[in-house]
Amino acid sequence: MDPPLINETSFSAANPSSYTLAEIWPFPPPPPPPTRSGLRMDNLADPDGSLEESTLTDQSSGNGTRIRKTRDFSSEKDDSTKIVSTTTSANDLNDSNGKRRKITGSRSVNDDSRAETEASSAANNKSAEQSSKASEPPKQDYIHVKARRGQATDSHSLAERARREKISERMNMLQDLVPGCNKVIGKALVLDEIINYIQSLQCQVEFLSMKLEAVNSRMNTSTTIEGLHPKDLGAQPFVATGMIFSPQPTREYVQGSQSEWLHMQVGGSFERAL
Amino acid sequence: MASKHTIATRHAQGIRARFASRFLRSLLRVRRSSNRFGGSQSNDEGIGKRIRTDRIKIAAYAAMARAVGPRRTWSRALLFKLRNRARIHGVSRKRCLVSEKKRVTRNKVVAISREPSRADTLRKLVPGGDSMDTCVLLEETAHYIKCLATQVTVMQSIADRLLL
Repeated sequence: MDPPLINETSFSAANPSSYTLAEIWPFPPPPPPPTRSGLRMDNLADPDGSLEESTLTDQSSGNGTRIRKTRDFSSEKDDSTKIVSTTTSANDLNDSNGKRRKITGSRSVNDDSRAETEASSAANNKSAEQSSKASEPPKQDYIHVKARRGQATDSHSLAERARREKISERMNMLQDLVPGCNKVIGKALVLDEIINYIQSLQCQVEFLSMKLEAVNSRMNTSTTIEGLHPKDLGAQPFVATGMIFSPQPTREYVQGSQSEWLHMQVGGSFERAL
Repeated sequence: MASKHTIATRHAQGIRARFASRFLRSLLRVRRSSNRFGGSQSNDEGIGKRIRTDRIKIAAYAAMARAVGPRRTWSRALLFKLRNRARIHGVSRKRCLVSEKKRVTRNKVVAISREPSRADTLRKLVPGGDSMDTCVLLEETAHYIKCLATQVTVMQSIADRLLL
């Protein structure tokens, strides 16, 4: 691809009028005759020049309109030849247009820069895609593969994929949380398991409140409020130390005090936090 | 990771301790009020028992929601429900009396239009789940399960301690 480059630069240096025509040509497509002359001269100079010019027109039209469109084009076509052609065209129009050179350079680098251009172009899009942007970089390769095959790169598909990923992640979290849920396969069964667990916990709360009511009323008749009062008072400094200090001194403090069941709770919290 | 873990531990412990103290206080309040109305409750023991059980249950949920605070959607919804419990209850009873027929037709329409999925069942179980999408619902469910488990263990330990 070097010969056409050298040819064109030498040709443009030799003939400034045709060079300016070739530079202006992509922006107003309607007037064909002068560009035709330039093309013909390129073709005469080199047989590869025709292919190069065709790629240049394609890319310049895409650059003039939108970045997204160029991304779609590049994702549709095979990347290797495209990248090579864009680099050569960038060398051709090195001093013509700063913006175009920047865009072609970013495009020819890699997929990451392409994602960046996509992000900048989609900055005024919906908020769903913006939320999906956080989880986009790790699965960039996956999207790239999908785009080559089935072209599912529009914002809806991306957002839906990110949403599904988030949901499955939360489901895994819940699966770790609910006991006996690790062996269950399938989202519906996991959800059933979660629902059952919540219902059982709520039933336990109901049952325990019933039990506490019985205990409370029994202590009501036998003992007076003083039976619970010191414990209640003992719970409040425990809360204060729990707020201020680290967990270890709290435990020692509770061990020192006579409120044994609070110590049980603290031990339980240590076990549960793991 | 280790610092995160210790922060989480302290956080869970703080919630646990706050819930325990609040719940004990409300338990004490329930006992005081039942002491005050001891004569009237001896007449109809079953009704009084049920009322007291409901009060303890509501106190447990309220203590849990207050211990979590307004950061979570479910605790906010629960606190709102508990705060406006009397008003909502009265309004719903009145509405039930007034427009029984309307309610029945609406329920029928809902039943015809869509079968309740598992996510909808979960929405009903988690407080405030009606206004959540699936992602938020699952996250809130995780936190709610953690808090419910904490609540159950604390209530269990209190009951064991009081029984001894």
